[in-house]
Amino acid sequence: MATETPDRVGTLAMATEPEHGPAKDLYRRIDGQLDYPTDLLDTPGLLHGAILRSAHAHARLIRVDVSRALTMPGVHAVVTAEDVPGLNRFGIVVRDQPVFCEERVRFEGDAIAAVAADSRAEARAAMAAIDVEYEPLPPVTEAVTADRQPPLHDGGNLIAQEVLDRGDLEAAFARCSFIVENEYRTPRQMHAFMETEGGVAIPDADGGMTFRVGCQSGHRDVEQLADILGLETEKVTVEAMATGGAFGGKDELTIQPAAGILALKTGRPVMIHLDRFESCLAGIKRHPVSVRMTTGCDAEGRILAHQVEAVLDTGAYASLGPAVLENFLDHATAPLYRIEAYRVFGRLVYTNNGLCGAFRGFGGNQATFAVESQMDALAEKLGMCPQDFRRTNLRSLGDTGSRDQRVRWTASPAEVLGLAAASPLWRWQEDVGGRWLQGTGMAMGSQGNGLGDGLPDSGGGRICLTSEGRFRIEFGFADYGQNISDAISRMVCQGLECHPDDVNVVLGRSKGPDSGPTSASRSSVLVHSVLSRALPQLKAALCQRASELTGLAQEALSPGPGGIFYRQEKVLDYRELAGNTVAGDLVVDADLDFPVAPDQGQPVGRYLQLLIATVARVEVDRLSGRVKVVDLHHITAAGKVIYPAGYLGQIEGAAVMGLGMALTEDMPMQDGCYQADNLDQYLIPTFQDAPTQRVDVLDDTADDDPFPVRGVGELGIEAVAPAITAAIEAATGVRVNRLPVSPGDLLAEMEARESSQ
Amino acid sequence: MATVMTDRAEVRVLRPDSAREAVTLARQHGGTYVAGATWLQPSCERGRNWPPFFIALDARWPGFRGLQESHQGLTIGALTTLDTLSHHPLMKEYLPCLTGRNGLMNLLAGPGVRRLGTLGGNLMAGGDLTALAFALDARIQLVGDDDPRGDRLVWRYPDLKSTDLISALVIPDCRRWRVAVEKLGHRERFSPTRATIACVYDGNRFRMAVCGEGGPGRLEISEAALNDGAASSTTTADWYQALDAELEGLGWHDARLRLAIRRVLVHQHEELSDGD
Amino acid sequence: MNDTISFKLNGETIACPVSGAGTLLDLLRDTARLTSARPGCRIGRCGACTVLLDGEAVPACLVMTWQLAGRQVETVEGLQDDQDFLVVRDALARESALQCGYCTPGFAVSLVSGIRHQRSGQETDLGEAIAGNLCRCTGYGGLSRAIQRLTDSCCREDAAAGNDNDFSGD
Repeated sequence: MATETPDRVGTLAMATEPEHGPAKDLYRRIDGQLDYPTDLLDTPGLLHGAILRSAHAHARLIRVDVSRALTMPGVHAVVTAEDVPGLNRFGIVVRDQPVFCEERVRFEGDAIAAVAADSRAEARAAMAAIDVEYEPLPPVTEAVTADRQPPLHDGGNLIAQEVLDRGDLEAAFARCSFIVENEYRTPRQMHAFMETEGGVAIPDADGGMTFRVGCQSGHRDVEQLADILGLETEKVTVEAMATGGAFGGKDELTIQPAAGILALKTGRPVMIHLDRFESCLAGIKRHPVSVRMTTGCDAEGRILAHQVEAVLDTGAYASLGPAVLENFLDHATAPLYRIEAYRVFGRLVYTNNGLCGAFRGFGGNQATFAVESQMDALAEKLGMCPQDFRRTNLRSLGDTGSRDQRVRWTASPAEVLGLAAASPLWRWQEDVGGRWLQGTGMAMGSQGNGLGDGLPDSGGGRICLTSEGRFRIEFGFADYGQNISDAISRMVCQGLECHPDDVNVVLGRSKGPDSGPTSASRSSVLVHSVLSRALPQLKAALCQRASELTGLAQEALSPGPGGIFYRQEKVLDYRELAGNTVAGDLVVDADLDFPVAPDQGQPVGRYLQLLIATVARVEVDRLSGRVKVVDLHHITAAGKVIYPAGYLGQIEGAAVMGLGMALTEDMPMQDGCYQADNLDQYLIPTFQDAPTQRVDVLDDTADDDPFPVRGVGELGIEAVAPAITAAIEAATGVRVNRLPVSPGDLLAEMEARESSQ
Repeated sequence: MATVMTDRAEVRVLRPDSAREAVTLARQHGGTYVAGATWLQPSCERGRNWPPFFIALDARWPGFRGLQESHQGLTIGALTTLDTLSHHPLMKEYLPCLTGRNGLMNLLAGPGVRRLGTLGGNLMAGGDLTALAFALDARIQLVGDDDPRGDRLVWRYPDLKSTDLISALVIPDCRRWRVAVEKLGHRERFSPTRATIACVYDGNRFRMAVCGEGGPGRLEISEAALNDGAASSTTTADWYQALDAELEGLGWHDARLRLAIRRVLVHQHEELSDGD
Repeated sequence: MNDTISFKLNGETIACPVSGAGTLLDLLRDTARLTSARPGCRIGRCGACTVLLDGEAVPACLVMTWQLAGRQVETVEGLQDDQDFLVVRDALARESALQCGYCTPGFAVSLVSGIRHQRSGQETDLGEAIAGNLCRCTGYGGLSRAIQRLTDSCCREDAAAGNDNDFSGD
């Protein structure tokens, strides 16, 4: 069972320290010296903004009277829908969300007005003095029936529906010996980034506006903000600051429109920083999914037919819902497995529930939870070991993807499965017995890189030698803690053999190169591709110029720490080199058209694929039904590891996020109202809840793979939840199909099984 | 109180010089006593709903802080922080189930909150320690001898007025007793309690109490059934029924949580009976 | 009744007016412009605003300014020369125990308090010291390795100093 080629498998550890020690940036973060956008309290002339949110989940807006609020102490401006200079709508896919509501509110967090005042307290007090008259309407709260309810937008409550199908489903089902049909539900998970949404809008003397905010796609935001503010795009700048976590939750515009309008109106910088209560109310969440899956196989365990019907609740506005639906459906086809015929159908609906949009995993991990649960259910029905069942159906390296697209894996799925099957977690050291029931389970997942499904997807970066003699590397990505800046710096140091002090990484400025959105695990792929082309070009340009200046042969020169070297000796430092070169000569731009699909005409599915298998070991409390995840062992195949600390951190962090989704995290709603509003009610894992984790990397990337480095930001969350529920089943005999696992429900099932035995 | 403030900066903080003066102020102004305020502040923040007055309690007032042994048992000042309780040698002696790595105190809020939060605050908020206080037959001392109930009051929520001020908790000498306490939370640490369950055996009788989602209460009927022989053990169907009905009557409406409480009590009862 | 109080902030005595039930967190950020303490929840449930109050780690959002008279407050800005902080800082950086870093000053303060308690024998488990700090990025793997590093170095120092503390727990 153990791997036959152990040298291609490595356990990630932090044992080896990076050559130049930890990145300086880390120290600045620990010391509290790195400013996050909501720390910019020293901005000269700063005003504080507050946003008035709806008092109802659904209501007609009869009257908004700001006259009293305008007379409140410290108030500089109060704005409503009437004050939006341009388009009173935003949304990445569909511009359906009003900056400020006009005649109708569609969810609890809908914005009605905003205030700018000298202090937060004054802004809040003035906000409370805005008189709003509502005529409450019955809320649409059930996603399943939403498309038959009164429409919340022109065109009805069904935003999108899509079918992916392949083969003759009825005929395939007719040949099945075993069929399992189950319903699965996944929670409305909250990103719970530690820095809540916020930042500053700063007007300039020329009528332009600069945003220093926590966001994920500066270039795209500029276009939306320019339309809202009625400005030309050149007048709007976004500087994506170091952001205190995002995970997809800052992909859509958050406070920027309100802050921008207040800043235009007052001519002064305005900060808006949602507190946690408001962030819970107004912020984006993960789409809750209800899905029914019917899957059948023949007597030998070959899956023949697979049918999926799903509803995703996107809430009052679409945000990235349509793209999430697409990725959900893609994962619901069970891309890891060969299936003769499938019909995967999904609907995305509007309701008066809270907003849903991008969240790490992007619909994929919700689908994988259901798919992997189906695999275990079928295996059980056949009386087959779940690993053997998977092995029977896994795709091989040469196979096309589930949508008949060409696919590039970095390892064989069967080999990843083999490593998971050989995990030490299957062996229990001791049978403790008594109170805690123990169990081990596993699940697999695959995930694509890039926006996928034919969406235009390109991006670029720029590297230059500045007049100070430093290499400035610019990408449009935002840095929200994914260690991308450190990874870039290390690649540049390797490529140019220079010192980290020679490198200055600048991210997230909309005036810099457009790298596309910081999403879909695409940044690492892009960075690596861009730099592997740009660095040799720059190196050649540096040596050529140095040769001109020193008279030494270009071939004998090479860049190194601090400057250009000739036979181990520095002959020209970078500052001199830059000083004697026309500005703009030592600049290399490179960009990448993301490999949407290599075959023209059929750009569906994901071309670049990553793999993970997660093995979970749990303990279930016989007395209360509570679940403790003790260990997680991941086997990943996601290309080369260029920055071990970053890779490990991404897998571990995503896995614990998936653990939270599996065990405690949900934002329940009642009649369109959230039932949790802060971190004492919405419970994310603490240090003591985090399991021991091990990450083994299998890298078998083909030599001719043009994208040997893949992005792993979303991989770790893919298979955690179904691995945990498989382990719970091993411990208790109870399979849970609804997340998060309710200890009460689990206990009741355990009790029922005990009394029937 | 009808008046509320929307901003915490508008709250007037009254600083009485003595506990008696605090009670007088509370009766005059209807203010809210404030000690660590680790429970009060979140609830005020949540509703943007602040009382007009805070009446600041002072841990330096005699008897309000620290632990003291007496013939009555152990007297713990109401303003003793939760953190002090988790490390105090007398606690290790009287109630070892509270201390140590997996002791109840480590499951109670986070370390920073325990350094601010007080015993009195935890009891007033119906926190984890109430189940234990109930099961131990602990008594509370109230400030003001004009109160006819004096300091001999057995802990009972309905008896407390909002102006009553707890100065101390008196627990009996339980060093030879067996005490078990269990918190069922949502996660390993820093979790609100679903149910905290305490079971005490003094060598003669069992006492049981709960607090959490269904509210605090002593399980008198269930423990009497055990102690007086109506139910031979916690594993009989009769006892299950008595307990289930009693919990439901107290306000525990979630049958699945009642099931968990039942299982914990059976477990605790077995543990405490062991060797008898 | 609402008056001025004075207390020590990072070693300097400062006097400030008390505004009702205003918090130390707002005082630090809005008035003193020390932004390492961060408002992650404002109800004491995330630990991002953890500071030392008389040497003990507490959430600044639950401390009201009127409670500060005569006391000492330290934030990471004021701990830059503190030996315990430097040890913690080094362990966090070397183990990449952070990603976005927004919560990290709070973790650092809790760990400073933790290693001091470890030294005094009050609490031996550094994992308990950060039970009130939430991190959403790392999954706590790096923090776990940083704690291991801190515990190892603490034991080494102890061995070197000839101390014979038993760290096996109580």
